[in-house]
Amino acid sequence: MIHSSGNGMMSSSAASSSVGNSQSPGLKTYFKTPEGRYKLHFEKTHPAGLLHYAHGKAVTQVTLAQLKEKPAQLPPTPTGSSSAGGVRSAAARLLGGGNGSRALSFVGGNGASKAVAGSSRIGSMGVSSSSGSALCSNYDGKGTFLIFNVGDTVFISDFNSQDKDPIKSIHFSNSNPVCHAFDADAKDGHDLLIGLNSGDVYSVSLRQQLQDVGKKLVGAQHYNRDGSVNSSRCTSVAWVLEGDGAFVVTHADGNLYVYEKGKDGTGDSSFPVIKDQTQFSVAHARSSKSNPVSRWHICQGSINSISFSADGAYIATVGRDGYLRVFDYSKEQLICGVKSYYGALLCCAWSMDGKYILTGGEDDLVQVWSMDERKVVAWGEGHNSWVSGVSFDPFWSSPTSEGDVESVMYRFGSVGQDTQLLLWDLVMDELVVPLRRPSGGSPTFSTGSQSAHWDTLTPVGTLQPAPSMRDVPKLSPLVAHRVHNEPLSDLIFTQESVLTACREGHIKIWMRPAHCENQSSSSENVLSNSLKEKPLLSSKVGSYKQ
Amino acid sequence: MHNIDAHEFLNFLLNELVDILEKESQAAKGSSETSSPSEKIANGPRNLQVNGVQKEPLITWVHKNFQGILTNETRCLRCETVTARDETFFDLSLDIEQNSSITSCLKNFSSTETLNAEDKFFCDKCCSLQEAQKRMKIKKPPHILVIHLKRFKYIEQLGRYKKLSYRVVFPLELKLSNTMEDSDSEYSLFAVVVHVGSGPNHGHYVSLVKSHNHWLFFDDENVEMIDESAVQTFFGSSQEYSSNTDHGYILFYESIASDNKS
Repeated sequence: MIHSSGNGMMSSSAASSSVGNSQSPGLKTYFKTPEGRYKLHFEKTHPAGLLHYAHGKAVTQVTLAQLKEKPAQLPPTPTGSSSAGGVRSAAARLLGGGNGSRALSFVGGNGASKAVAGSSRIGSMGVSSSSGSALCSNYDGKGTFLIFNVGDTVFISDFNSQDKDPIKSIHFSNSNPVCHAFDADAKDGHDLLIGLNSGDVYSVSLRQQLQDVGKKLVGAQHYNRDGSVNSSRCTSVAWVLEGDGAFVVTHADGNLYVYEKGKDGTGDSSFPVIKDQTQFSVAHARSSKSNPVSRWHICQGSINSISFSADGAYIATVGRDGYLRVFDYSKEQLICGVKSYYGALLCCAWSMDGKYILTGGEDDLVQVWSMDERKVVAWGEGHNSWVSGVSFDPFWSSPTSEGDVESVMYRFGSVGQDTQLLLWDLVMDELVVPLRRPSGGSPTFSTGSQSAHWDTLTPVGTLQPAPSMRDVPKLSPLVAHRVHNEPLSDLIFTQESVLTACREGHIKIWMRPAHCENQSSSSENVLSNSLKEKPLLSSKVGSYKQ
Repeated sequence: MHNIDAHEFLNFLLNELVDILEKESQAAKGSSETSSPSEKIANGPRNLQVNGVQKEPLITWVHKNFQGILTNETRCLRCETVTARDETFFDLSLDIEQNSSITSCLKNFSSTETLNAEDKFFCDKCCSLQEAQKRMKIKKPPHILVIHLKRFKYIEQLGRYKKLSYRVVFPLELKLSNTMEDSDSEYSLFAVVVHVGSGPNHGHYVSLVKSHNHWLFFDDENVEMIDESAVQTFFGSSQEYSSNTDHGYILFYESIASDNKS
C-alpha cells in the first residue's frame, strides 16, 4: 500500500488512491489558488488502532525539526558549515525550532523570508531538494523530521520520505505528551522539549532519540518532576531565541515558567502565592539554584498558546480569558493586548517583520492585530467552527505589480475545527473600516465606542476590550479547502509546501504550485515561475478581495 | 419506551408556568385594573382576544427571563418593500452541521433565504406572488438564551427519526451578531442538557450546571463537581460511528450585563 511513485511528485492517480485508502473519502487532493494548484503530496500518520483522542486532552501538535549535518553531541563550531552558516541557522530556526508557541506556529511573515528563500536550497525542506549531499540513512546526517503527539506517544517521521508511517515512537507511561518545540541551534545537544499533560517537561536530544531503538525517552533532563512546581497541564513549550538554553513552559492555570536547560532544580522552587489571579505578575526564584528561575502569572484560566516574535524580543500569549497579550520578554513587561470578540483564544502567530499578530479562537474569527497601530485591523470571517491554528506564510513574496506601487501584502493561513484550511491575503490598502455611523447618531444605535481610544496610542500595558462588530474591517478567505474529516489542529508553511494536521494525528503535506508544476526546484526556476504568474496573480487577488 | 424529549418538556414547563402565573395573578387581582399596562409584548401568543375584550398581557418572570423577539423580514425583489413580522420565542431551535460551531449555526439561522419558484411570496404592495428574500433577525435578545440543537432529524429514506451525533462546539461565552441593534450583547454559558444514547427513542439525560463558579454534573441522584474543560467532552463526535454518545442538546446562556460599554 505504500506508493513507490518514484521521486518527488506522485502522479495524481497515485495521490488520489493513497488518499482513498486513508480515512479521507470524498476529500479533494488539490485546491486552487490564484497562483496555481496546491496538490496533496503525501501523508504522514501513525499505526492505526492507537488510543483515540479522548477528553480533549491530547490534540495533535506538529513540530518540524531540521537536524544539521554535524553531530550535535560535539560542541558547535563554525567550521563545518561553510559561508552559508548564518543563513542556515536562520532557516533552521524558521523551520521549527526557536519560535515556540505551539510547536507549529512558526514565526512567520514575509519580508525577512525573502532572504532565506532567495538564498538557496540550504533552507529548503529537502523534499524535492536536489542539494548536493544525499540524505544519510543514519541520523548523524542532516534531515528534516516531523514530531507529533498522539495519545500517549510522540511520533517522529522522516519528512523527506514518502513513507506514511513514523520511523520512531516514544511512549510515555505516566501522562500524555501534549506539546513540543525544537531548537536547531541548541548547544550541548538537547534540542527538543516535550511538555506533558501532567505538567512535567523533558528536554532531550532528538538525534539521540533517533539513534536509540527503544520506545522510551533516552537521555532526558526532567523538569517540574511529577508536577512539583506546577501540576496543571502543559499547554505549550518554547525555546528562548539566543537564550543560552532558556525555555518557557505555559500551563493550564495561567502561569508561564522560565527554565534553564540542564540545570537541576535543587534549590527552593516555590513561588509566592498569587494575590490577584486576574493581574499579571512576575516572581523570581528565591534561590539561584532553583529551576524554574521565574514565574509569570499571566491570566486567569489556561494559557492556550504562545508565540515569540522572530527576533525573540516579544512574546504573545492567548488564553481562556480571550485576551491576546504581548510582553517585552527581557523587560518582563506587558506591552499591549486585546480581548477576542468573544470566547477563548486558541492560537497565535507573528508576522516575520513583527508588525502583525494573528489569533484564532472560539468566535470562529481569524483576528489580525497591528503592533504599530495597537488595534485589531481585520477579522477574517470564513471558518464555520473554532480556529485552532494560524500562521503567516513566511515564503510568500508579494506580487509587486509594475505600474502602481502596491502596499505590502501578507499571505496567511488558518485551520479550524470545521476541518478546513483557509488561505488569506492581507493588503493594508484594501482594508476599509465599515461605514462608521455619524457621531450625531441615528436614534437606533448607541453612539460612541472604544474605537475613539484608537486615535491615540494606548499607554503601555493597556488591555483593550473587545472591538465591536461594526468597527473592524472584514476579510474573506482566498481559498477554503476541506482537508481532513477530523477537526484540524495545526498548520506549518515550508518553502515548498503547506502542512496540515488534524487532532487525531493525521498530517497532510500540500505542495505549492511552483513545486507541483515544475519538477526542478532550483531557486532560479521558482523565481522565474513566480514572475511569469504575476499579472494573473495580482489581477485575481484583486477580484478575490472585498 | 418513549423518552420524553427534553426540549418538548422545557416548552411544556415554561408554558405551564406562564399559565399558572396568569391564573394566580387573575385570582389575586380579581376584576381590578392591571397595574402595568405599558409592558406589552408585540404580537405575543398571550396577546389574545378573550371574549371579545383585549386582555392585558401579563409579563411574568418567565417572560422577563426567557422571552426574546424575532423579526421575520421579507423583502420583495420587485418593489423592494420590506415586510416585517415579529414573533416571540422562548428558545431558538437550530439546524446543525457536522464539525460546526454554535456561532455558525446561528449564522445559518439568520442567513438570507430566497423565496422563488414554487415558494414565492405574496407581496401586499404588488398584489401578486413575487420572488423575495427572507431572513430572521433577533429583535430583542432574551435575558436567558436557550439554544436547542436539532439533533433528532426525520430521515425520509429511513422513514424515522435519527440522532445526529455531529460535533457542534459551543463556547463558554457567546455574542449574538444577528441582532437588529448593534448591541453585541454578550452571553455566558451556565447550563447544558446532554442527551446520552445513540438513537432518538432511547437514552438518558444528564446535565451540567454552573453554580457559584463551579461546574456540576447531574446524573439522576449523582452530583459531582467537574472541571470547566470537561464541558468540551459533550460537543459530539466528528465521526459517525463513535463510542461517544453524550451530546450537548440544549444550551443555556445568560446575558452578562454590559454596563462598562459606553
